[in-house]
Amino acid sequence: MSVSQPVSEIEVEITINSRRRRDRVPSRLLLSDYIRDTVGLTGTHLGCEHGYCGACTVMVDGDAVRSCLMLTVQADGAEIRTVEDLAPAGSDALSPMQQAFHDNHALQCGFCTAGFLMTLESVDPADYRHPQQVVELLSGNLCRCTGYQNIVTAVAQAWSDSTQAQ
Amino acid sequence: MKPAPFEYCRPSSVSEAVDALAAAESGRVLAGGQSLIPAMNFRLTDVSVLVDIRDVAGLDRVTVEPGGVTVGAAATQSRVLADDGAAAVVPGLRVALRHVGHLQIRNRGTVCGSIAHADPAAELPALAVAVDATISVEGPDGGRNIAARDFLLGPFWTALDDAEVVTEVCFPAAPEGAVTVVDEISRRAGDFAVTGLVAIIEPVDAVVRSARLVGFGVGGAPMRLTEAEAALSGWAGHHTDSAVLEAAAADAADAFEDIHATAEYRREVLGALVVRAARKALNSGASP
Amino acid sequence: MIPDIDDHIRHSTRHIGRSVPRREDRGPLTGRGRYVADIKLPGMLEVCIVRSTEAHARITEIDTSQAEALDGVVAVYTGADLADVSTFPDYIAYIGAVRQRPLATDRVRYVGAPYAAVVAVDRYVAEDGAALVAAGTIYEPLPTVADLAQALAPGAPKLFDDWDSNVSVDVAPHKPEVDRAFEEADHTFTDTYWSQRQTGLPMETRGVVAEVTDGTLTVWSSTQSPHMVRTAIALMLGVPEPQVRVIHPVVGGGFGTKTHTYPEDIVVPWIARRLGCAARWIEDRAENLVASAHAREQRHDVEVAYDDDGAIGAIRCTSTLDMGSGEIFMPGTAPVFVTNACITGGYDFPNMQARTVGVVTNKTPAGAYRGFGIPEGAFVMERIIDRVARLTGTDRVALRRRMLLRPGQTPHVMHGGGRLDSGSHTESFERALETTAPALERARTRHADDSDVRVGVGYCNYVEPTSPSYHLTTGQWGGHDSATVRVDPDGSVRVAAGLSAMGQGNETTAAQLAADALGVSPEQVTVVLGDTERAPYGLGSWGSRGAMMLTGSVLMASERLLDKARRIAAHLLEASPGDIVVSDGAFHVAGSPQPSVSWADVGTTAWVRTVDLPDDIEAGLETSAFYHPEHLTHQLDEDGKINAAASWSNGTHIAVVSVRVSTGEVRIEDFIVVHDCGTVINPALVEGQVHGGVVQGIAGAMYEHFQYDSDTAQPRFSSFMDYLVPTCAEAPPIDVDHIESPAPDQPLGVKGCGEGGTVGPPAAVAGAVSDALSEWGVDLTECPVTPVAVRAAIRAAEAAGRGPGATR
Repeated sequence: MSVSQPVSEIEVEITINSRRRRDRVPSRLLLSDYIRDTVGLTGTHLGCEHGYCGACTVMVDGDAVRSCLMLTVQADGAEIRTVEDLAPAGSDALSPMQQAFHDNHALQCGFCTAGFLMTLESVDPADYRHPQQVVELLSGNLCRCTGYQNIVTAVAQAWSDSTQAQ
Repeated sequence: MKPAPFEYCRPSSVSEAVDALAAAESGRVLAGGQSLIPAMNFRLTDVSVLVDIRDVAGLDRVTVEPGGVTVGAAATQSRVLADDGAAAVVPGLRVALRHVGHLQIRNRGTVCGSIAHADPAAELPALAVAVDATISVEGPDGGRNIAARDFLLGPFWTALDDAEVVTEVCFPAAPEGAVTVVDEISRRAGDFAVTGLVAIIEPVDAVVRSARLVGFGVGGAPMRLTEAEAALSGWAGHHTDSAVLEAAAADAADAFEDIHATAEYRREVLGALVVRAARKALNSGASP
Repeated sequence: MIPDIDDHIRHSTRHIGRSVPRREDRGPLTGRGRYVADIKLPGMLEVCIVRSTEAHARITEIDTSQAEALDGVVAVYTGADLADVSTFPDYIAYIGAVRQRPLATDRVRYVGAPYAAVVAVDRYVAEDGAALVAAGTIYEPLPTVADLAQALAPGAPKLFDDWDSNVSVDVAPHKPEVDRAFEEADHTFTDTYWSQRQTGLPMETRGVVAEVTDGTLTVWSSTQSPHMVRTAIALMLGVPEPQVRVIHPVVGGGFGTKTHTYPEDIVVPWIARRLGCAARWIEDRAENLVASAHAREQRHDVEVAYDDDGAIGAIRCTSTLDMGSGEIFMPGTAPVFVTNACITGGYDFPNMQARTVGVVTNKTPAGAYRGFGIPEGAFVMERIIDRVARLTGTDRVALRRRMLLRPGQTPHVMHGGGRLDSGSHTESFERALETTAPALERARTRHADDSDVRVGVGYCNYVEPTSPSYHLTTGQWGGHDSATVRVDPDGSVRVAAGLSAMGQGNETTAAQLAADALGVSPEQVTVVLGDTERAPYGLGSWGSRGAMMLTGSVLMASERLLDKARRIAAHLLEASPGDIVVSDGAFHVAGSPQPSVSWADVGTTAWVRTVDLPDDIEAGLETSAFYHPEHLTHQLDEDGKINAAASWSNGTHIAVVSVRVSTGEVRIEDFIVVHDCGTVINPALVEGQVHGGVVQGIAGAMYEHFQYDSDTAQPRFSSFMDYLVPTCAEAPPIDVDHIESPAPDQPLGVKGCGEGGTVGPPAAVAGAVSDALSEWGVDLTECPVTPVAVRAAIRAAEAAGRGPGATR
């Protein structure tokens, strides 16, 4: 739906983790701040706010994007998923990738973890059969604690389990 | 790191977008926003009105024809990267896009936006110059088509007027038998190039018949390497060929210096990239 | 040493030594970890700090009226408003006093120096206001000093008018025996080595939230040292310390940068008190790059005396630290002392004399970063050894073998006084060499067909001081840490420690320790860290001290608690306390599992059914302990020596690299680590520390470098596009092997492992690239080893007639 006249505030309709919301937001409100402050989902973290570190990665209409490089208004009508949506609701269980991160000590301070998980959630493992492809995929998210090795191991484990399950 | 206040509009046609830009004190087109929004978060860019083109019908189209690939202004880099048809006609699109940013950036960033942003170290503007792409723009006085080499004027500087909108970029098909190489030295995976090269090389019988070379991350805009092209003509992959290195260095005589590299480094490594590309072309030319 | 409990645990250990899964994971994995930026309080306002854009200037005017008039701005404060706040204390008498104010009042000495604060309804508006304050600021620029040479030049502009020069500290011992060694040596050489400016760069920036409720000032700070922040707030704001509570929530990494108490730790609480409402400041990344401590920028002028056979007789080294403006609390001088203490590492050679200099410049203040001076020292030593080997035609490996401490040679006192209590210096090197041989072969095979590629190998053997004195660093605090252990009526155990945690897994570690000490399962143990109201005074997590200090404090407190619990259990079982043992959560007489009483029985008796307690046992089941490691000293002895670390870990790093000659590109083909941190409590956590440390070390070896303009002292960086934190694609395969040489004098033999990973990569990579380019005689003396640096070295060699290219 077009917005023909320039406005400094705008109403948006966004579905986030399967819940539809309507909010009136400033034009300049970054999607990352909308998710964290307006909606209150603080699992999405801000590590740089200039689109490099990947901590704020969420899924918009199925694609991994940096939420600090998107205006809330650009997500008008979109469906968003955040890290809070990964574990099965109503149980203590983790998603297979979350479990693999836990099992392989693939997080330390945990600040970057949501971004890695959302990047991984957004792709089809079949497109990342070669280890080098996994490394390239993960290179869009910075981690300062783990040295990445255990993250790569966790991904390999989770994805090999998922292929075996098929 | 929050953007300064601005107004936002989302027109439904190119002419509305042009009108909105014309009426704004400092209007900017918002496509993918992957370069614009960081600049706004740093408050480095003065924007009074953002004109979001996502609702303009047809701008996300990618048209593949035997003669070339036309990429609409709203088409994302991921979309083009995944397009096998586009890669078959203009192989450079895929090889260049593999170097662009990371998955998350390519999912939002557009091909046209990268060219309009005119980062001197970016791959897509260099590809546009190398293949003689044409940039189509619409403005208050109508539309015009601009050759990439005339469009890209300097660092973050293009021939686009304030109220003009890029609508599409047409990349002509690569010549039959040509090998397209996009190679670069970058400090980290996904970074802009310290120095890079787009090479379209036609090998015949293990000899370079012709080469079209464009360096990036060397000058203010993508740079045709005419001396290196001449030096490479007839080159047969000699173990070293100082003539090629010297020619590339001469092409890059005015290479810039920044925190990532000295001008001297850029000059000499550009030659190394040319040799590397030519060798690769000769090797792949042997078995098409 | 805590003999009883030590013995108890050695015989009953169930969880120590195992990779017990981390209890810290669930929050971050599910998006429910609560970091400081996630805290939202009713009526909370947002703060934006206004920072100097000048490297050196007087501020003559700050016009805040436009910002104050902005809709949504609540208040604007400048340094003048904080007149009632004292300066950060200058505790160390022998370094230049900087009298740092939380907000600069009249003079700024680096780009990023805080001088005003805008308080607004949200961060967007606060930044709008900050831009208006910046526009209303008038500077009178002063001449700048951008580096050591400029700062030390005769007549250089001074940062502090009342100092004689820009030298903050200069400690220059003189050893006549070193002079003699130089006179007697066959040869000498001199050179200068450099270490470049870097930072810890946690993925979570700093942040502070403060509010006053019911007479208590509560401060949430993303700090590594909550108690020290509490003391500083109380002191500087003049608030009684019991009325200040500092909590660190989940902290997203620290790496040393968060050990300091920063201006915002003072300013935000001040604002909360002034306005009577909650206030929050979250550092953004642009601020973080100039406002959180930098580190590592050192120059090392060395003279080496050596003989024809490669024997090193003595080293003289002047290590000079670029302190930035020096305006940081605690001061940033300590790492360069650590550098000089650690140069010798596990190598034994006759003598060394080290001079330690700290100099101020117009750059971000230098402070702590993981490694804390050790990598710089290791770099100097390893580059010296490679040089001597080359000059004398000695094999590099053989020369190292000759000098490394062998089994039985510990304890060994290093030239600076550091006492290597135990270690595996020779063994770790030999084991790493075994792994290296096939790795090197693989790399050579991989590149055999490419005439543009050279392969090389580089070595670093290092020592890692752990659980250090904080007195030399702060001039005030010592080296203890604390724990309170409590058993509640239901038998649950609660451990509250003065340690903090920034991702290391200290909560899991504490639970393992308490579980084994008290004979319960880790699931029964609740751990509280980083809250001054819930844990006794401790110094926090830094200096590779978490494991050892937790071990000492938790075991001490547990032992005392267990002693009382045994007496209660004995009373309930009508037995003698000396006959009572505890296992699987139950107390019984040794040798007869029944009858027994549970921890719940004992806890209920202690707290609830106190009528069942005998007269000579007071109610309650909670004990605190303050642990100070043996052999840790805080003062220099009469020879100027000190053992400022409780124990010393060690290890070997070996890099196998390939270098592309035409472009200078370097690829680490394999990175081999053998690591010895004494007894390991949780192997997975130790390995994680090694991996992360190594990649940070590689960042320093090849990527990260804060550069400043030499004319203006303006930063030449502003983002992650300029400060190159490695991604997954830059991280090489890391092969980690462990040796355990228990610390003979520490509980359970535990040492520390937080920093060792960062130590070796600069030396190993520079050594490996130099080796790969040996045809050109390349001998790298600084990092980062970038493609540009590699090409420059090759070009210089060829210009001097060296190398295969030079002859053509």
